[in-house]
Amino acid sequence: MSETPEPVENVTPEPGQRSKLASVSEVLTLYAICLFVALALAALLVEFASDKGSWSSVYTVILDGAVRKPGRWGLTLGIAAPILLVGLGTIVSGRAGLVNIGQEGQLVIGAGCATYVGVRIGGPGPLALALTLLCAVIGGALWAGIAGALRFWRNVPEVLTTLLMGTVAANLVGWGLRNRFLLLAPPEGRANRNQVSLPLRTDRRIPRVELFGNEFPLSIVLALVLAFVVWLVLGRTVVGFRLRMLGRNARTAQRSGVDQKRYGIGAMLVSGGFAGLAGGVMLAGGDFGDYQLVANFGAGIGFAGLLAALVARQRALLLIFIAFLFAGLRTGSGFLRATGVSARIADVVQGTLVLAMLLPPAILYLRARRRAIAATSSRT
Amino acid sequence: MGNFFSALADIFTNESLYRNAMIVAVVLMFAASGELVAEKAGTINISLEAMMLGGAYAAAVGQARGGVWGGLLLAALAGLLVAAVQANMSHRLSADQFVVGLVLNVLVLGIVGFLVGSNEPESHVVDRLKVPVLSEIPLIGPALFDQPWVLYLVYPVVPAIWFLLYRTRWGLEVRAIGEDPNASDVSGLSVNKLRRQTIYLTGVLAGIAGGYFLYARSGRFEDSLIGGRGYIAIAAVIFGGWTLKGSVAGCVAFGLVGSFVLTIPSLGYKAIDPAFLAMAPNVVTVVAMTMFAKRVRQPAALARPFIRGLK
Amino acid sequence: MTSTSDASFQNDMVGGEHSSPPTVELIDITKRFGQIVACDRVSLTLRSGKIHGILGENGAGKSTLMKVLIGLVLPDAGQIRLHGKPVQITDPIDAATHGIAMVHQHFSLVEALTVWENVALGDVGRLDHRHVRERVAQISEHYGLHINPDDRISDLSAGMRQRVEIIKCLRRDPQVLVFDEPTSVLSPSESEFLFAALRRVVQEEGKAVALVSHKLPEILSVTDEVTIMRDGKVVRAGETAGTAASELARAMVGRDVVLRREHAAFGVMDINDKPTPSPVATTAAAPSPSPALRLVDLHITGRDGRALLSGLTLDVYPGEIVGVAGVEDNGQRTLGDVLSSLVALDSGKVEVAGIGVATGRAGAMAKAGIGVIPEDRHDSGCVLDFTVAENLFIADPDRVSRRGFMNVATMRQRAEVLIRQFSINCTGPNAPMWSLSGGNQQRVVMARELAHDPKVLVAAQPTHGLDVGAIEYMSEQLRNAAATGVGVLLISTELEEVLDLSDRIVVIYNGRIVGEMSKGHVDVERLGMLMTGAGESHE
Repeated sequence: MSETPEPVENVTPEPGQRSKLASVSEVLTLYAICLFVALALAALLVEFASDKGSWSSVYTVILDGAVRKPGRWGLTLGIAAPILLVGLGTIVSGRAGLVNIGQEGQLVIGAGCATYVGVRIGGPGPLALALTLLCAVIGGALWAGIAGALRFWRNVPEVLTTLLMGTVAANLVGWGLRNRFLLLAPPEGRANRNQVSLPLRTDRRIPRVELFGNEFPLSIVLALVLAFVVWLVLGRTVVGFRLRMLGRNARTAQRSGVDQKRYGIGAMLVSGGFAGLAGGVMLAGGDFGDYQLVANFGAGIGFAGLLAALVARQRALLLIFIAFLFAGLRTGSGFLRATGVSARIADVVQGTLVLAMLLPPAILYLRARRRAIAATSSRT
Repeated sequence: MGNFFSALADIFTNESLYRNAMIVAVVLMFAASGELVAEKAGTINISLEAMMLGGAYAAAVGQARGGVWGGLLLAALAGLLVAAVQANMSHRLSADQFVVGLVLNVLVLGIVGFLVGSNEPESHVVDRLKVPVLSEIPLIGPALFDQPWVLYLVYPVVPAIWFLLYRTRWGLEVRAIGEDPNASDVSGLSVNKLRRQTIYLTGVLAGIAGGYFLYARSGRFEDSLIGGRGYIAIAAVIFGGWTLKGSVAGCVAFGLVGSFVLTIPSLGYKAIDPAFLAMAPNVVTVVAMTMFAKRVRQPAALARPFIRGLK
Repeated sequence: MTSTSDASFQNDMVGGEHSSPPTVELIDITKRFGQIVACDRVSLTLRSGKIHGILGENGAGKSTLMKVLIGLVLPDAGQIRLHGKPVQITDPIDAATHGIAMVHQHFSLVEALTVWENVALGDVGRLDHRHVRERVAQISEHYGLHINPDDRISDLSAGMRQRVEIIKCLRRDPQVLVFDEPTSVLSPSESEFLFAALRRVVQEEGKAVALVSHKLPEILSVTDEVTIMRDGKVVRAGETAGTAASELARAMVGRDVVLRREHAAFGVMDINDKPTPSPVATTAAAPSPSPALRLVDLHITGRDGRALLSGLTLDVYPGEIVGVAGVEDNGQRTLGDVLSSLVALDSGKVEVAGIGVATGRAGAMAKAGIGVIPEDRHDSGCVLDFTVAENLFIADPDRVSRRGFMNVATMRQRAEVLIRQFSINCTGPNAPMWSLSGGNQQRVVMARELAHDPKVLVAAQPTHGLDVGAIEYMSEQLRNAAATGVGVLLISTELEEVLDLSDRIVVIYNGRIVGEMSKGHVDVERLGMLMTGAGESHE
């Protein structure tokens, strides 16, 4: 219903240099307020809903458990590795404009594939380990690839398929863990536990490093390197450039030679591959059980990684810090049991933090949008 | 082969198969009928799971003080509270609805887990109420009419949702904004406000779903009580092709599948691994989406946020 | 009360004929958007029982005027009177309560709903479906519209949908009906039907109708009175009867020099610096034998089964500017999409410098040497969230990369050169694209497409939404491109722009080229006829 010419020409006012500082401080204030409210809400919950601790003691204990007590920061590093990996995959698909929320399932499939191959193949340790992790990557990638293929061939929304296939993955691996020919360990190897695989042999586990009384697997180094690689590829290469273009404006990308199917499905494969690798690393790293696959192996790491990527707003380097923060919340909450406060408070803090981090960009976007509309409302 | 068929006959003539199926189907129905309305309006609420879980916990807390009705009221309020966060963050502040939903699931699970860990509420199963005559119908009679009485609450809810969607102005407006928010906007409807209202309704119904399930199933609250049934309810809506009939059929089918898990071993058969039955609803839904993606019409604006001036 | 001589002419004409005050009077309405004056002291009178045509090209200000009437746009100055009493109309609901209703150009119907549901949408109060159904059936029968209240909109043709829109309007029994380009999506027979119905509404119920159009034949055959607008002003007003088509066509289009004069009047540019005759016009007069771009019998059918392109054939030679003139929605957008690799052809072929190019394959057209300044730059021309430098290299990042790595320093340097060369006003190569004004965004697109040494440059509505200075700059660039041997295809609904820039003009109508004339032999009257489908011919 609009007349062809759009007489208003300045839709978004050019940001002046002077107001830049003001707007930066405004944004920071907004974030600070949201963070404060989130933490205050969690604190209130501890104060009023539980008679066993005060918020200050809870935060002290979490800090102790995450870094301060001997050996704890090593554990935090070990937990951070898979969170970081899942988050990196989420960033890749997110930058391509795809919403993958099935990382938990992709991770479990990855771990399942890694277990299947890892306990069977022979050969020298390091090579076997590499093959094991490769299988984890392939498993996760293919699982996510199904959703990607359906999205680009049949136009089935990837959000729903990744979500639905998460449960399928958990059940599939659960089934594998009940069958000898797949993942289940022979009866003599599993004492009285029902669903458990054989552990990986010692020579095909990820080496652990000891440093200042803390012990952690080298997987964290792998994850950090990959974070750097993702940052480099997305920000500095032609492939990353095109991927981001696809995510930001698919039609401009199509005109500029970015094949949606190829890049889109590729991004989904990479995303799932990272989640799968996270599963493999959890299995072979040693911080999640005894180098063996058990029921509910994912332990929410897939979700944590997804949330971390969202909080980091798809920035690979920022993700590193968020992953450490989330890992710290996990390891820190392990110490809470002693105080009588439920360890679940860590999930609460994590959840309120993420919600709080979602608010400022949404508010800012909406405000920019309103301004633009106000500037053009005259032309409807 | 003959063995197989006699086993099938055995399973399908078992009353408790249908009774258990109905208990699960009804929790899905409560949640899915609300979610159907919200999806008709163009939103998807992954936080359905959180609404149900919050409702179940609130029902457990409320039963001690206000009885079952008080518990259900509190459950509805808890669902509404979660829905309010989802609705306002996604359809007022335009934060991504999937992200918000996902975070809410994690957050509510954390809060409920924390609260239960601090002090566990006392709650119990409600009594069965046998409807005379009707419950004598073979096979399905007991499933439909010899159940915990809270189950019967769903019977008026489903037709009420139908009436609301297809016979009221509000329902018409809801369907319009889910199909074409821009045209609706031109016609003078307040798109995001209506969307928020549908999510509030979803919250109330999902909260009641959680409360119902607590009272009908276990009586004792655990944070694994809902266990992904929110996702299955969403799957039922999709499976049902965004129609009320289809959604209800989906709920019944998924309830039956879940019930097999319990029934088959209890009859001494061990043919299918429960994992396959547990994943069946989702697999069926994905396959259905793939096959009927072109034929089944989802609300055209499903999962697309409405911001005036954006296409 | 009147200001321009034209307006006074109008008032004289209708002077003492009617004793009761007219249904609607718009008096001296002025509306500015930034520097542009969309309506400059425009007056318009609608009378009960009369159909009043408002004729003008795209951008003449007629839609803005109608938006003022239905409350979508608030005027800067001027008065609205209903039955002689001054009123304020602040929004469409307000307008509706005053009995003014608009049948929208682009439909406001929800496809998945039925006719009666759409008619009920936007009402308040209890939903009485039986009552609404009956009313729809009643209106349909009364005006012979043949609409079944229970039909689903998605099953209806464009013509039937329009009838539903009309029913939606009539149901509220308005005094004034505004039709905005009602026939733009209708077949001739559907249009005839529409106007027959319209006649009855006007005659039987004494409603006042405003019919906005740029199609001459329908204005001539349907309206009682006509007002012609150009560049925000009323240039002619009076009774329709006895007016010749050629007279109206000339008044609507104006002369091809008008563009520059009008712009100079805004005080933005100095006309003395810019000589009107294009230097290329002469050099390109004898086109080289092989075309830079050859389009042969292009066919595309849309999803709704409507033919978007039906046998479009066109050659563009190196060094010439070919202007595609035409009324909106006649296939221009689809043509632009084809040349941007956004859609695939059903049949036909596209050749660049004699080599066939696959349609619909990502990036194929760009690679073959077709540069495009798209109709909607936000849609397929740039990435708003990228920086200016990134936007300058989206089509060909390999130019600023080595072994797959983007060379940020090189990209910056080259971007700076382009920014200077094309005078792009921004804080630097790293400024986000969204922070630029529309004109500067367009310059970025232009700079990128020209920097890739295209063989063909497609400019679709290149001056859309730009201010006068930017328009002039854009025109100059297109001329320069042609001068360096690029074949330029200018697709525009602004006839003056086409007349001003093109060496050769072709007319697009219903998805194909229906006529052609060279710069030296432009017959504005005939052009107007071709564009409005009044006379089809091939040269």
